[in-house]
Amino acid sequence: MIWSKDETLEREQFSEIQERRLSETVNRAYNNVPHYKRRLNEAGLEPGDIKTLEDLAKLPFTVKDDLRANYPFGLFAIPQKEVVRYHASSGTTGKPTVVGYTKNDLATWTELIARMVTMAGVTAHDIAQVSFGYGLFTGAFGLHQGLEQVGAAVIPMSSGNTEKQIMIMKDFGTTALIGTPSYGLHMAEIARDMGIDPKKDLKVRLGLFGGEGSTEAMRRELNEAWGMFATENYGMSELIGPGVSGECQCLKGMHIFEDHFIPEIINPDTGKVLGAGETGELIITPITKEALPLLRYRTKDITSLHYEKCECGRTTVRMAKIQGRTDDMLILGGVNVFPSQIEEVLFNISGIGPHYQIKVYKKGYLDRIEIDVELIDEDLLDSFTLLENLNQTIRIKLRTVLGIDAKVNLHEPRTLVRSQGKAKRVIDLREGK
Amino acid sequence: MLIKQLSVFIENKKGTLANLTGALVKNNLDIRAIAVFDTNEFGIVRLVVDNPDKALSVLKKEGFIAKLSRVIAIEPEDTPGSLNRIFNILSEHDISIDYIYSFVMRLHELPYIAFKVDKLEKAVEILTANGINVVNSEEIRGK
Repeated sequence: MIWSKDETLEREQFSEIQERRLSETVNRAYNNVPHYKRRLNEAGLEPGDIKTLEDLAKLPFTVKDDLRANYPFGLFAIPQKEVVRYHASSGTTGKPTVVGYTKNDLATWTELIARMVTMAGVTAHDIAQVSFGYGLFTGAFGLHQGLEQVGAAVIPMSSGNTEKQIMIMKDFGTTALIGTPSYGLHMAEIARDMGIDPKKDLKVRLGLFGGEGSTEAMRRELNEAWGMFATENYGMSELIGPGVSGECQCLKGMHIFEDHFIPEIINPDTGKVLGAGETGELIITPITKEALPLLRYRTKDITSLHYEKCECGRTTVRMAKIQGRTDDMLILGGVNVFPSQIEEVLFNISGIGPHYQIKVYKKGYLDRIEIDVELIDEDLLDSFTLLENLNQTIRIKLRTVLGIDAKVNLHEPRTLVRSQGKAKRVIDLREGK
Repeated sequence: MLIKQLSVFIENKKGTLANLTGALVKNNLDIRAIAVFDTNEFGIVRLVVDNPDKALSVLKKEGFIAKLSRVIAIEPEDTPGSLNRIFNILSEHDISIDYIYSFVMRLHELPYIAFKVDKLEKAVEILTANGINVVNSEEIRGK
């Protein structure tokens, strides 16, 4: 099912809507946000110079540090009385980045999530358990509103208290699970501990995952553990929260809601705009936001854009699965590696569990990498050689697939840190990190 | 006769063995034999206990990776060269030994020797045929 006719427009119709709304957004930013007035003036631009999609490339980028520098409300384009909701990023380093919503912004957000969950297969018949943390984080509230919009019965469970999550899930007959993929895997593990086989004893048929990157291997693991159909969605609080894009059931990338966002791909080093299908950093310009208009926001996420019409009938552009982030790319002895690539290798090795942690440090002048994994296969206990072979297999796979030499540490099950939100997979102990 | 032995994965860090034995004590399980070989970061503990099936379920419940397997236990004679004789017999029949450990049972003068070989049934047959006392599991279980 397709929620809105605005997901199936012709390319020219999208362009026409985007150009009109882009112009409005540039005007709103220029006239109401001193930061943007200054930035456009510095670039020798006036709002009137931005008329077409080609003109977009003239605009300066906005980065996360611009939000921090203007903490808390410096980039808002509206008086405080128009704001009806605040959210903020997790702010792992220093101050969080604050975002605001007007009534119209909330309505837009709700509409986008309604489209997104419909795309993932949710209908009014579903019972949807939201296992994102409720609070400043946008994940829970975003999904909550949109799920209600499509008529699903929402359980605002929040994250944590996993045993209770499972109990409610069983007693209420939850059919759709919403959360981070790493928490989804953790919940399945806890359910099995409780003697509940998520596949047989629970009714969860859909999984809508977001908030952190994931791999195809992780999807398979989730589908297998829950007996579900897992889809991934994308967004970030600066852009609106979740609801920028999401997968349809064809799983051919995440459809971007183009009547609200203009995507571009750039070379992260030069800022040069790249063509369709080329891989680079995703830039998003939201074009309907009232409270916090951002021009050409650098997401730091690495992906590519695909414009061919999807089998699901939607004509919106699709972004490929996020390959990594420009700032979490590890350079190990000169080799560029994304944690997601390491994850993909680990997931395809049997005998170890889905949780892992990557540690990077310097020994002398050399980068050293250690990967912690958990042993789950008791059949390897027959001889020490089997365990050593597993260790070797992991090392060899990492070397042949990614060209990195890592030390692998086998741990007892359940000893690596579990996350209930975004998983922290990489610990970089090198100087300056 | 073959006896049941538990193999448990442990990391080489402080307190792991105490966790393991603690779990067994809590459940009134008696350890008859324990062996850990030199390990670097992780290792496998081999245990003979009075109730191996119960011990397995206890350890799994506690989150350990554990497995039951079968090993041969024998009671060698107290004469010079008796072990040498046993190893020769196995070697002549092309049976290779993965690991060995010995353990003492009260009321017995001599230690038992437990060993894991690649062809268990064949090894038992050959050892018995050669007059070697292969211990049965009741003897291990009995208090």
